[in-house]
Amino acid sequence: MTNTPKSPELRVIDHATCTFCGCVCDDIKLHTDGNRVHKAERACVLGKAWFLNHTAERAYPDAIVDGREASLDEAIEVAAELLYQADMPLIYGLSNTTCEAQRECVALADAISGIVDSHTSL
Amino acid sequence: MGGKVTCTLGEVKNRADFIVYWGGNPAECHPRHFTKYTIMQKSRFLPRGRKDRTMVLVDIRETKSVKAADIFLQVRPGKDFELITVLRAMIKDQPVDDSAIAEIGLQRSDLEDLVARMKRAKFGVMFFGMGLSMTRGKHMNSAALLTLAAEMNAFTKFVAMPMRGHGNVTGADVVMRWQTGYPFGVSYHRGYPRYNPGEFSTVDVLVRGDTDCVFVLGADPGATMPQPAIEHLKRVPTIVLDPHVTHTSRLANVHITTAPAGIAAAGTAYRMDEIALPLRPAIDSPYPSDFEVVRRIHEAIRQKPDWRVRSPWIERQLDAAH
Ligand code: SF4
Repeated sequence: MTNTPKSPELRVIDHATCTFCGCVCDDIKLHTDGNRVHKAERACVLGKAWFLNHTAERAYPDAIVDGREASLDEAIEVAAELLYQADMPLIYGLSNTTCEAQRECVALADAISGIVDSHTSL
Repeated sequence: MGGKVTCTLGEVKNRADFIVYWGGNPAECHPRHFTKYTIMQKSRFLPRGRKDRTMVLVDIRETKSVKAADIFLQVRPGKDFELITVLRAMIKDQPVDDSAIAEIGLQRSDLEDLVARMKRAKFGVMFFGMGLSMTRGKHMNSAALLTLAAEMNAFTKFVAMPMRGHGNVTGADVVMRWQTGYPFGVSYHRGYPRYNPGEFSTVDVLVRGDTDCVFVLGADPGATMPQPAIEHLKRVPTIVLDPHVTHTSRLANVHITTAPAGIAAAGTAYRMDEIALPLRPAIDSPYPSDFEVVRRIHEAIRQKPDWRVRSPWIERQLDAAH
């Protein structure tokens, strides 16, 4: 399951995990060519739609800053400056993401003396 | 587990002979819950699978999940807390007024039957959804149901578990509990974590206009929040990380496209019973992961002079460390 660069070669990923709903089924068999998933065995209708709707296509710009396309580096700089300047920054969401990113968000909240909150509070 | 009387879905699958779904519609929202974890599974202790299990559905209206249930209790909207309280009295053989039962919209015989079945069960589990935790009473309802589960243990084994929705919300609770000691709504303004839902929960912060910069990741508040909250989002600088350009991205100053977690980005996610599972990405995305971007933003901020307020004690600790 190495992250080979884009190749039309079909690979099968056994025991893939679906994170669309709280069941987090970890028995999904994915048939993929690296660009898109062709088949998601054992997934339910929601899970199938979730896997089949994402592609490796560059559908959006890397970043958008004030309405214009920007590079990732620039966007990161602007984001860091905005958060740094803020007196009461708020970090919100954290549901459709990994625990690794969530941990980093908590560290970020600590570094900027902000609030960190998730979907749970809704 | 945050003090919940709960268990893993593996235990439910192997042992639960009495399953209650309260305020949720698993048939449509968690399609594989029945087949993978609850009523349809055969196990060593429940060899006949569905036949060995009883399923009860409690909801305010008939949903697709009714078909799967043995017993359906239609409770009057907003009366979940009352029903839980009546059940808590009935399991202890305390007198319950007819008017209290009428108010809920159910028959006394239904409730007596339910209580008898609950006590007869070898292993009971109550799954509760947003129909319970997001309607009148909110977290008080969840707390009451968890108390009912705890009290049932005077008679038999009983547990409760929230039916968590989208993605990795469970992971957010777990990670925040691990890092800050609290599950959500945490403020670092004083340099240490403080928890106060209502004060530090996002909708309240936004509606009061208490924040001057918002960083959004793995959510789309621009599509789901009440209008006054969205109005404030428009007023302040907002940064969004998402695999798609979302409603929130459109009113944000900065949008950064990231790889979708679990499909193109690796990492860990938590199942609703707080079991950590590895993600195995299948697509080679041209975009970086959320983790990578947050880490780089954090790194860029660390390069700037630190202005945080610190207590003299922390100053001394830092001096000693250097
Ligand atoms: S496959 Fe279906 S039931 Fe399983 S996690 Fe995905 S959406 Fe939920």
